[in-house]
Amino acid sequence: MSASSGLELLGVSHHAAPVEVRERLAALGPELVLESLAAAGWREAVVLSTCNRFEAYGVKPSPPGARALAQVLDDLAGAPLAAHGYGRLGAEAARHLFEVAAGLDSLVVGEAEILGQVRDCYHRAARTGRTGKVLNVLFQRAMFVGKKVRSETGLGTGRLSVASVAVELAERVFGSLAESQVLVLGAGEMAELTATHLTSARIARLWVANRTYERGLALARRFCGMAVRWEEFPGLLGSVDVVIASTGSDRAVVTRDMVADAAGRRNGRPLFLIDIAMPRDISDEVNELEQVYLYALDDLKAIVAENVARRQGEIARARAIVDGKADEFGRWLESLAAGREIGLKHAPGQGGGRAGRKA
Amino acid sequence: MELTLFAPAAVLYGVAAALAFVYLFSRDERWSLWALRLLAAGVAFHLASFGLRMADFWAIPENRWFLPVNSFYGALSFLALSVAAVALAVERGHRLGILGAFVLPWAALAAGGALWRAASLGSTEVAGLVPALRSYWMNIHPAVLMVAYAAFSNAAGVGVALLIQDGQIKSRRPTGLCYRLPAIAVLDDLCHRINAAGFLLLTVGIIMGGIWAYGAWGRFWGWDPKETWSLITAVVYAAYLHLRYVKGWRGRRAVYMSLAGFACVCFTFIGVNFLSGLHGYLSGR
Repeated sequence: MSASSGLELLGVSHHAAPVEVRERLAALGPELVLESLAAAGWREAVVLSTCNRFEAYGVKPSPPGARALAQVLDDLAGAPLAAHGYGRLGAEAARHLFEVAAGLDSLVVGEAEILGQVRDCYHRAARTGRTGKVLNVLFQRAMFVGKKVRSETGLGTGRLSVASVAVELAERVFGSLAESQVLVLGAGEMAELTATHLTSARIARLWVANRTYERGLALARRFCGMAVRWEEFPGLLGSVDVVIASTGSDRAVVTRDMVADAAGRRNGRPLFLIDIAMPRDISDEVNELEQVYLYALDDLKAIVAENVARRQGEIARARAIVDGKADEFGRWLESLAAGREIGLKHAPGQGGGRAGRKA
Repeated sequence: MELTLFAPAAVLYGVAAALAFVYLFSRDERWSLWALRLLAAGVAFHLASFGLRMADFWAIPENRWFLPVNSFYGALSFLALSVAAVALAVERGHRLGILGAFVLPWAALAAGGALWRAASLGSTEVAGLVPALRSYWMNIHPAVLMVAYAAFSNAAGVGVALLIQDGQIKSRRPTGLCYRLPAIAVLDDLCHRINAAGFLLLTVGIIMGGIWAYGAWGRFWGWDPKETWSLITAVVYAAYLHLRYVKGWRGRRAVYMSLAGFACVCFTFIGVNFLSGLHGYLSGR
């Protein structure tokens, strides 16, 4: 069908290719691959290289004679890729790229990082003048489809790990965590994991209280935080915003009275408590206090399970958008080959009102 | 003619409110975009109809240069316009996407009330102003108070959103709604800032009323029911602001106080009409 457009894709991804093959390709670096392709006659090419996939998109030069895409890549990889990879032509190559940009082909379906990676790889190729009309339109459409899927479906919503759900909920209370102080009780593995997530969300200050002061100090140092002695932590409840409890204690270390007492010094500011200890560290009654919110590990796990289920339900809606846009792109490729190019609109048939972008 | 433009405005407010409500439970951003567009269209229709009303009103010589807000229809219409315009401004500034669901029902209700009033009277209550009202204060005193009322209704909407968000997070089983609504701290901050602005306008409006009353009726304050209830409203909001700033009342508790203030606003605007002769839109003066 649209093979005459010359658009070709060859790639390997986490679905089938062993990690060594992907690593070897990733190690090559996109610049080298682009240069090798150009030397072989593929003047129009974009290379998408992430830790989970390696894909080369190219437009076959019109006087035939260039080496096949597979041959060039096999030489670079030092092994035949066909055994692990996939090739697509024309509109099917576009369909694949749109799926990738939408996050449908990702290891964690719906993840958002891939959209930025698609943009970067396109800009890298475009900067050095390696993209022509077909690839420019293809990648701009892919970024458009990726954004459209994220704004019109719930594919990218809902965090998928206990720690990131906890951070997201804290953000539903405080807005930004940039001015929040976090107190970590305990210095175990779970405490560290959650602290990693919180500090990546940028917080004002991290406190660590541990029964063995030295271990608390070691954890605090790793996160540029401050360690306090165990006896001093109830005093901090009056000033911190988020508490993460994960000690090995066999009974509650944070009681209702302790929090109620601290509330008097909080001037009405909310307090968000996360209890990831088993058995639990924080008395469940504190959730009854005004402006105090307590989540235990089981609550967070239940939310993660719901989010996973919801994402699965959104896949079909996302795929419908991708398919529609891929078919439309296929018609455009055909019209281009036939010499009577049709316009591609950014929101066709939906009255979106945005001006169509003529390629 | 005025009503042929006003009726679509009222309908647009209602539909925009409904779309904003759907958006709360949907994962599609387009609902909020359309709610905002319809709201803007509603405000445009409303402004056009208000322009026509001014033209009719000013055709009566003694009304020239005065705002047509002396009747119940005129006041309700102006109130709906203020509520919608404040909502549009807050929504454009803060991009909450959800404000419409909690605020626009008030605009739709006020506009619907005005329509109902016009339909039951068979007119839009354009008549000559009585001499006491022919003052430049006619353009300032009611307008300032209407904008204060609009601010209070917006703050009440934000407060209701806060109550829902608090319930969501407290429940430990937050639904999609939780991720739609802004953070509690954001809602709390917005609620008190809008209320503070409303309180300032209310106070200024009441003082202006006193000055006008001194010129027109020879006394600054006469314990007319409207005066009394506006004072009660001001006291409730002053208490709200005091408790928030000095006593650290935040979240749920502060919202209850703010909603109590809004109940006073509603009574001052509607209930008092049945009690007051001087300030009654229904008394015919």
